[in-house]
Amino acid sequence: MSLTTTRRSIRRAGVPYAFLAPGLLLFTLFLAAPIGYAGYLSLRKVKVSGLGLGSKSRTEVWAGLSNYARSMTDPEWLPSVYRILGYGLIVVPAMLGLALLMALLLDANRTRPALSGFARISIFLPYAVPAVVASLLWGFLYLPRVSPFGYALGKLGIGTPELLSSSWVLYAVANVAVWGGTGFNMIVLYTALKSVPTSLYESARIDGASELAIAWRIKIPIVLPSLIMTFVFSMIATLQVFAEPMTLKPLSNTISFTWTPLMKVYRDAFVRNDIHSAAATSVVIALATFLLSFGFLKLVGRRAFDQEDS
Amino acid sequence: MKKTLAPLLASLTAAALFTTTACSGSDDKADSAGGGEKVALTYWSWAPNMDKVVEGWNSTHPDIHVTVNKQDGGDPAVTKLLTAIKAGSGAPDVMQAEYQKIPTLISADALADISSQAGSLKDKFPAAAWNSVTLGGDALYGVPQDSGPLMFFYRSDVFEKNGLQAPKTWDDYAAAAEKIHKTNPKQYLGTFSAADAGLFVGLAQQAGASWWGVQGDSWTVDVNDAATQKVAGYWGGLVEKGVIDNKPMYTPEWNAALNDGSQVGWVSAVWAPGVLEGSAKETKGKWKAASMPQWDAASPATGNWGGSATSVTSQSKHPKEAAEFIAWLNSDPAALKLLAGTANVYPAANDATSVLTTPPAFFAGQSDFYTIAAEAGKQARPFTYGPNVNVAYSAFNDAFGKAAESKKASAFTESLATIQKATVDDMKNSGFTVAG
Amino acid sequence: MKNSKLATTLLLLGAAYCLLPVVWVLIASSKSAGELFSTFTLAPGTHLLDNLGDLSGYRDGLYWRWMANTALYAGVGAAVSTLLSAMSGYALAKFDFPGKGLVFNVILAGVLVPGVILAIPQYLLLSGIGLTNTYWAVLLPSFISPYGIYLARIFAAAAVPSEILEASRIDGAGDWRTFARVVLPMMRTGLVTVFLFQFVAIWNNFMLPYIMLGDDKLYPLTVGLNGLLNQGASQPSMYTVVVTGALVSIVPLIALFLTLQRYWQVDLAAGGVKA
Repeated sequence: MSLTTTRRSIRRAGVPYAFLAPGLLLFTLFLAAPIGYAGYLSLRKVKVSGLGLGSKSRTEVWAGLSNYARSMTDPEWLPSVYRILGYGLIVVPAMLGLALLMALLLDANRTRPALSGFARISIFLPYAVPAVVASLLWGFLYLPRVSPFGYALGKLGIGTPELLSSSWVLYAVANVAVWGGTGFNMIVLYTALKSVPTSLYESARIDGASELAIAWRIKIPIVLPSLIMTFVFSMIATLQVFAEPMTLKPLSNTISFTWTPLMKVYRDAFVRNDIHSAAATSVVIALATFLLSFGFLKLVGRRAFDQEDS
Repeated sequence: MKKTLAPLLASLTAAALFTTTACSGSDDKADSAGGGEKVALTYWSWAPNMDKVVEGWNSTHPDIHVTVNKQDGGDPAVTKLLTAIKAGSGAPDVMQAEYQKIPTLISADALADISSQAGSLKDKFPAAAWNSVTLGGDALYGVPQDSGPLMFFYRSDVFEKNGLQAPKTWDDYAAAAEKIHKTNPKQYLGTFSAADAGLFVGLAQQAGASWWGVQGDSWTVDVNDAATQKVAGYWGGLVEKGVIDNKPMYTPEWNAALNDGSQVGWVSAVWAPGVLEGSAKETKGKWKAASMPQWDAASPATGNWGGSATSVTSQSKHPKEAAEFIAWLNSDPAALKLLAGTANVYPAANDATSVLTTPPAFFAGQSDFYTIAAEAGKQARPFTYGPNVNVAYSAFNDAFGKAAESKKASAFTESLATIQKATVDDMKNSGFTVAG
Repeated sequence: MKNSKLATTLLLLGAAYCLLPVVWVLIASSKSAGELFSTFTLAPGTHLLDNLGDLSGYRDGLYWRWMANTALYAGVGAAVSTLLSAMSGYALAKFDFPGKGLVFNVILAGVLVPGVILAIPQYLLLSGIGLTNTYWAVLLPSFISPYGIYLARIFAAAAVPSEILEASRIDGAGDWRTFARVVLPMMRTGLVTVFLFQFVAIWNNFMLPYIMLGDDKLYPLTVGLNGLLNQGASQPSMYTVVVTGALVSIVPLIALFLTLQRYWQVDLAAGGVKA
């Protein structure tokens, strides 16, 4: 009897591992191993001898940290880091502010399903559009000669703004990201709002609180945990911004190959065929992402990632 | 739960079946490795309708079957090839390779030397094109397919209205650009495109530059030489004056400008009619082709923009058959006819003149189109490409993008030092021996 | 009353902003190549059917093959990924075992890794087993979604009461049986959401298939359209095909949104899906 109990409990102890096994196996193969491999590649480099034209004239050798040193001292590296900081300062507040505003408005209009349904679907729609296609569409809208706005402004006798010129390009790229991301964040915040029992507002309303005051004092505090999570995911997306500027690049003189850190990775890997430098820069970006997101979560008390059975 | 799992399993099974068929398709190649059997070759190309050209080979060569895998363009194809080389598998047998990428590909050990298999092809091609696939040595890394001698295209109606003639020299071009823009501030004779390093290199080539070179056992890099300085200063001056535009080519904006008559000229290459056909549709019949404006009208010269060879990759298990195919593709009269007529390329082979008798449709009225092109082809100056062309070109994009945006001639000429440094640093870092 | 007017206006403005590029592409795809850049761009044309015909005719209907491929990648990839996420999420939410914290943190870290960084190492590893340029090259990496596991863990924690698991065990049901008969049905709503997220993620994925595939018969829509766009630069008549292709490519996802609306409700923080 006791034997079977022990056996059973041993078997039971293996259960969570059995459930995790397939996921972990694939995780190891397709995420952990490639990341490890990237780490390995970042410590290697290709060494060419002489003219490098004969067959077998190149060998792979250990590079130590020289790829990292070269990446970080590239004169274009720091500007690209500052650029995405500026970009993040535009995108994250604009996108989350807009998402919160729309979520609150949807919530306030719960009694008008036609309006809120239409608005919800419309605002969520951009989520269905791949970043590459979204940037392509906005690209057409930005170019004065092919844009409907350019046409309309031209008819009004107003000069058409060059949205991809150096003074506007950051906003132009940010707009594509805001357009694509607002809907998703709105849905997250709206879901949080919906989980609040209306009775909570009713009493406030009876006490004479304005809608604005209810939103500010009751609703926003309730969605704060969700807001924190959307903030973290938006921040990660900002650090990794790539597809939008990459697609808009050929349309303008103002977006360089190293416009964002991830574009530099792309340039090194795909344009310069130097995967070792690309791997080194990738590792730095990944580390920065980890530090920032875990650091931030620690700062706000690990509210979201840490939650257990509720 | 059964309800949910059933379709899942069904789709999984479907996927498995799907993939098995997909895999077995590529297995044919491995199976046919033995001699005497049917050989299957894969061919990466981005030229339009190349599959139709290859049908001409497949129908007459039952033992060697070639399948075309259409690529997005020269850069993505090279990226994929180099990744496959690095991985040790996944490369095609045959590959379209732009001339400027050949040293890069050789340096990555991506191309097979087919000198022993190709037979005597040398005499069928112009010396300059042949030099691009041999790099002046004994090895042969491909067979030239098409070439892109620079030519000048302009709206003859606009020139006539302004009392202008096709510019003979770059001074004429500058004067024409100024006059046209003055008469109609919306019109430009051209644009300086920081996105097209290939065109700029062609212009530098015309002026006598050669950005790379080989001196004994070391490379030389000469991006910032007097000839290139002259070209950069010239275009920077035009942009600073505002008489030509500073926006990149090949954008919807630029296409619209060609079509609505805001761009009334294009310094381009022999393949331009195919592009204009699409982008400047509504101005058909108003364009004319001319020889390039010259720095020195007494000794006319030109450069190249575009052009590519067909190469056998180092991973091909059938280099002999592949070499046979590319020799046919680029020198057989029947193939040349298909290349010119179906794939719209300007074949590099000497024999091409015999198949290029009627002018391209967009220039139907200009019977001497291919005479001008052939003349230009002969005047191309020698130019050597190095093993890191992409580094120089991407540095060009970034540096000249800034310069064009600033509209300052000094920024144009200063950009060259930036490109020179980026190119040399990269080569030294990789371990290439660089002189100077 | 005034408040509600303002609210309505703001909501409609938000909707208009989000619809604008979609309306533009709808209008643009109704124009002929000549009209695309030369007529007022918000005035519709009459060539939608011609453009659809051109799109279908492009290299013998290759576009529709891309569509089918995309559906295969997204459908199969998301289905397998959802099942794996459910299993992993359930294990992480409902069991205590040594290494749990580590496993969860490692998976969480996986959420943060961008695809561009993974693409080349994944290619090199997959080519080692000869799977590049096959359907598997895109499918296998899509099977794992750290984000899906993260979500499934939240759903399992919120939707599966421990008492019911206990009851099922006391009834003598095995662990797999409990999972299939009790846990999965309870997590159903949440899993549909996981499925949808992963479906959209794969549908919109570009970098992975771009680097993995050489044969354009295997391409998904994003890679195929990107290729068309590159050709559009030198053959501008392709632009109408690109624009029409872009429009058609978002139609299936929009249909998915409309039909499965109620599942698009996800609470990232408090746990669970309120359907």
